[in-house]
Amino acid sequence: MKPAVSPLAPNPAPAAAPAPIADRDAALRRLLDKYRIAGEGRIVADGDGWALATPAGNRALLPWRCERRFIELRRLVESRTLEDVSTLRFAALDHAGSRSLRAQLLRELDLCAFVAGAEVVSVFAVCDRERAANVVAALANGVRASVECSVLLPAGNRPVDRHEIIARRGVGSDRVVDTQVPQASIYAFGAGGERRFTDTDAELYGLGEDDVALVRAAMAVLQGAPVAADWEERRRRLQTQVAAVFQSDQTRSRVQV
Amino acid sequence: MKPLKTAILSLTHGHTRKYYQTLKENPKLEWVAAQADNAQVKAIFAASPFSAGVPCYDTAEALFAAHPDLEAVVLASDNASHCRQVEECARRGLHILSMKIPTFDMREYDRMIEVVEKAGVVCQIELELHHNPVVHRLKRLVAEGAVGRIRSIQATNITLSPVWAFPWQGVPEPSYGRRVPLAPGDRRFRGGALSDHPHIFDLIRWLTGSDIGFVYAEAAPNIRPEIQVEDMLLVNGKMADGTIFLLDPSWSRKEEKLLVPGPGWEVFPKRMEVNLTISGDAGVLVADCFGPNVYHNGGPNDRYTVQYTYFDEWIGLMDEFHACVRERRRPSIDLRWHRQTIAAMNACYQAISAGAAQDVAA
Repeated sequence: MKPAVSPLAPNPAPAAAPAPIADRDAALRRLLDKYRIAGEGRIVADGDGWALATPAGNRALLPWRCERRFIELRRLVESRTLEDVSTLRFAALDHAGSRSLRAQLLRELDLCAFVAGAEVVSVFAVCDRERAANVVAALANGVRASVECSVLLPAGNRPVDRHEIIARRGVGSDRVVDTQVPQASIYAFGAGGERRFTDTDAELYGLGEDDVALVRAAMAVLQGAPVAADWEERRRRLQTQVAAVFQSDQTRSRVQV
Repeated sequence: MKPLKTAILSLTHGHTRKYYQTLKENPKLEWVAAQADNAQVKAIFAASPFSAGVPCYDTAEALFAAHPDLEAVVLASDNASHCRQVEECARRGLHILSMKIPTFDMREYDRMIEVVEKAGVVCQIELELHHNPVVHRLKRLVAEGAVGRIRSIQATNITLSPVWAFPWQGVPEPSYGRRVPLAPGDRRFRGGALSDHPHIFDLIRWLTGSDIGFVYAEAAPNIRPEIQVEDMLLVNGKMADGTIFLLDPSWSRKEEKLLVPGPGWEVFPKRMEVNLTISGDAGVLVADCFGPNVYHNGGPNDRYTVQYTYFDEWIGLMDEFHACVRERRRPSIDLRWHRQTIAAMNACYQAISAGAAQDVAA
């Protein structure tokens, strides 16, 4: 017969949501402490992108490569859930104060390679100065991509993006069929109108999606994670690709990259 | 106004059935006859509840002989047949509603303009999106300055492929007019998705008020490797007024290989989409011309499916046709207007072949 067990004491307080994190550098330090990762750094803007400023110098960050939805889209291709990818259709609309056109192009061109598993090898672009760019790209594995980038969204509007993969078997996307804009997790309808909330990372609860990706990317760099192994070189290559976009527009020709 | 005595010829085009209800119900029209190009489409027509009371002939000549008071025809035929049919109808003084690709042969195209204008008949081209309520709203918003000066347009006209139900659309000669390789060394030929999707080339002309300056295009690997025409392609370019654009006219939504379109046709939930993003100095419009809808995952395949809630463009299209005939005026989409759209589509094929941008003649 088992010995009697004293009943559990009642929980003195009901489960409460953690306090939202507001500071991404503090969030990074907390994660580094939790997982005992050596190193330190601050996330800083760096030209048309982001870097982790460390005592040894700046390290390039490609935060979208740590964003869950892009990891899952890539997994759809890697796992051959989608078979024989033909075309990518990517779009990113934002306002100029949030992200430059070049930063958008850098991100979206890298996402083409990240999701499809092959490098961009040529671009034909038509641009409206530094406001909008429409790119038809070819990848090394024969996949084609259309990339629409624009910073014409007026300030105060939420950015809109879309990433769709079209394959011989299946279509994958980060947008629901029959929708045009990102969905939110919570819609709060109050006297002051509608508020929306999308929280995707419990450990980093309170940070927005972009900041979550930055913190995860910084952590990957300091961890020496494989995903971050070649980000310095990748960033240089991507800057060459972005330059090729504008060269293509100026020369009205397809440019090999 | 007296009802317009109208017939529909051939019955081989994918849009054929969309005319049945308005031909039957619109009091401005009197549907007097149909003609079927083959026994299969004749049987499909006979099975339609809309065919009751509408005689169906095996040849156009028999139809014309039986209905000497016929006034107008809807040409529901393959692209390569249109020139011959337009010449015959114009010769008979019949007003014409043609499917959306009159021909890709520009000499034939100019011949069609000549015969139609000489005969003084109406020849309207079926670009039904101009009678879509979302497009009405888009045009109005743009005109009211909602985006200011347009700088960039992105548009999709993506669908499933009709090649299993309407085989001519997968064969170069009836679809494109002749057999032309897509590019040197490419086993595919012109006549696929691009040949099926003129709408967004036309819409960017309307929205900007400008002609298309140049286009560039690339064909992606087919997602239907078994067909001999292209099914996936991307287009970008610039209007004469400097507006940049990015178009996708692909057959990128897979389908079940049904011989008669019906429930269960879709593999991808939404079988057809015309979406636009219009970016300008003062704002951005993001539009879905066919949404929102209702959704189910019932029969026949227990597959999540978009059930469209409105598809009534053909009502307005035929209203315009009737008005143009009775009031003796040119339709908004006639052969002359549409010529640059077809020229742009031809230029896309040339760009794919050459790997270089192509200017589009005004």
